[in-house]
Amino acid sequence: MDFLINWLANIPGFAVPFALGAMGLIICEKSGVLNLGAEGYLLIGAMAGAGSVLSFGGYPMLALGIAALASAALALVFAVLVIFLRVNQVISGLTIVFLAQGLTSLIAGKQGWTNKAFTGLADLDFGPLSDIPLIGPVLFRQDPMVYLTILAFFAVSYVMNRTHTGLRLRAVGENPEASDAAGINVMMMRLAAVLVGALFLGLAGGYLTVVVSKIWVDGMAGGRGWIAIALVIFARWRLWRALAGAVLFGCIEALIPRVAAIGIQVPQYFVLMLPYVVTLGVMVWTSLRKDTLANDPSALGRPFVREERR
Amino acid sequence: MTDIAAPTRWKRLNLEIRDHMPFWQQSIAVAAAFAVGLIISVVILMISGVGLADLWNEFVVFIFTSPKNISAVLVQAAPLIIVGLSAGIAFKARFWNIGIEGQVIFGAIGATLVATYDIGPEFLRLPLMAIFAAACGMLWMALPVFLKLRLQVNEIISTLLMNYIAFNFLLHLLYGPWQDPVSAFPHSEQFESFERLAPLGWQSLNYSLVIAIALVAFCAWLLLSSRYGFLLNFVHSNAKMARAVGIRVALVTLFAALASGALSGIAGFAISAGIESRMTQSFFIGFGFSGILIAFLARNNPLAIVLVALFVSTLMIAGQSLQVFYQIPFAMVQLIQAIIVICVAASEFFIRHRIRWVE
Repeated sequence: MDFLINWLANIPGFAVPFALGAMGLIICEKSGVLNLGAEGYLLIGAMAGAGSVLSFGGYPMLALGIAALASAALALVFAVLVIFLRVNQVISGLTIVFLAQGLTSLIAGKQGWTNKAFTGLADLDFGPLSDIPLIGPVLFRQDPMVYLTILAFFAVSYVMNRTHTGLRLRAVGENPEASDAAGINVMMMRLAAVLVGALFLGLAGGYLTVVVSKIWVDGMAGGRGWIAIALVIFARWRLWRALAGAVLFGCIEALIPRVAAIGIQVPQYFVLMLPYVVTLGVMVWTSLRKDTLANDPSALGRPFVREERR
Repeated sequence: MTDIAAPTRWKRLNLEIRDHMPFWQQSIAVAAAFAVGLIISVVILMISGVGLADLWNEFVVFIFTSPKNISAVLVQAAPLIIVGLSAGIAFKARFWNIGIEGQVIFGAIGATLVATYDIGPEFLRLPLMAIFAAACGMLWMALPVFLKLRLQVNEIISTLLMNYIAFNFLLHLLYGPWQDPVSAFPHSEQFESFERLAPLGWQSLNYSLVIAIALVAFCAWLLLSSRYGFLLNFVHSNAKMARAVGIRVALVTLFAALASGALSGIAGFAISAGIESRMTQSFFIGFGFSGILIAFLARNNPLAIVLVALFVSTLMIAGQSLQVFYQIPFAMVQLIQAIIVICVAASEFFIRHRIRWVE
């Protein structure tokens, strides 16, 4: 029972980076820009978050904000490449990952932020509510970001599906030529989507250091960006399904440190493979069941070239 | 009557699509982009505390005046050339092989398997290691390519996830059954002398370079003048059309992907048997991205791959000394590569478009 409560109580913390990351990716990809740089945005957010906590001596919420902004700054490079210069989106996305790997390792190394522990964001305490057995630790003893993430899902879902801006965003990803003819500025819409998406990805990265690990280690995103990309495909670009997927991966990640603790003898490196194997499995499962209500943005990965509009 | 002021004439930038640009102009555009990338990198290095004179010393004087360093660059270039070929042949089939590191790991595992369990007689040991390496690399590619061709699972993500799985499997071996019994360090036991690629007799050069050059010749023949190369080119330019005229696109892709996996596996063999003489925890780091970068900059041309690989190898060797003498993290090498790719990719815009001032 203790094992179960402990496990359940840890799931939200592990699910938040996946949820925020997948949400950022959906915003970006709904506008038709394929974003393979997720891992890079997570890294830059994680490093910026750790760096600002270490430099300012605290203020974790400020650090999360800086993480988001740092990621958006990197996204600006990506946006210029794929939106204005029409560079291949696969190559650009991959390059952003490698650029971020090099940049974060260089900056953190030079500033002496690497492997330096700090105090991050503490969990909230709702007094008596938090002390209810079972429900208390799971629902009422989380960090503020867990609750904010859920709010963000409602907000983004509302904007995407119920407002004019959301409609324009989806139109641009569905048929940029028609959107252009209808008077939507395709380039600007996509630029905004890439930047806002990167804000969420950077927040997810900042969460990894400021809230979860409370330390920066080179390359610490550990493939979570790629898992988030797979999650978005699994969710068929639907927000709430992405949240469900994020919770699923939160369950798996929260399980890993607990498997050894309860004395199950499994070689540890096979346990560490688990998230990647499950991601592969999820991708196979997604491709096996044919979704008739395809929700994929049709123009995903295709640059908009106004000069070639017909 | 007052004169009506002539309306201000606004000049604006107009973008035109360019169908074709002569080869020499393209070369200039790419070279200029390359130079811009280098300048940005130099600025970043200077901000990190390496002076201009030091850079000149490390990158030019230090490398090109000592035979020892020239040979170090060539030794390092061998596996880079091979991963470049691996990425190039996969990209030719529009199969994004991002899993080169995983296949390099499995190649080394295959080679180390033969060496550790003393499979085959001594004189056949090295060829067996190479064959096992190629087979393991191919095997590691088999699942993603099967998923791609049968179920349309995105190969970018599947090959990338396989990297993490391969890395954890490598750690399992090195901290478990294959741990060095002599030193108890997490690397495999040292290969016997007949399990290492023999030296060529000049400095530290060894047969890995010969293997790399032979593979370049083979790939050049395969891609540029064989029947298969023609089909691959067709699929690369227009897969729909290729399918329409009866080319079995899936088969062409399958072959390219498996060849890519095998080449990466051989690169793993070249690193473990040619440079490290054992399998370590980190021998593969950087080869995945460098392979992609080399193939991208060389536009999948096997001969250009050699040139770009030599450049990246110089960068890596200089990066090692920057790390030792100036405490610049080795990640700087990766950063420079990424910056150059961004600049060259951006130059494509000017190759494909013409910008004009019009009124």
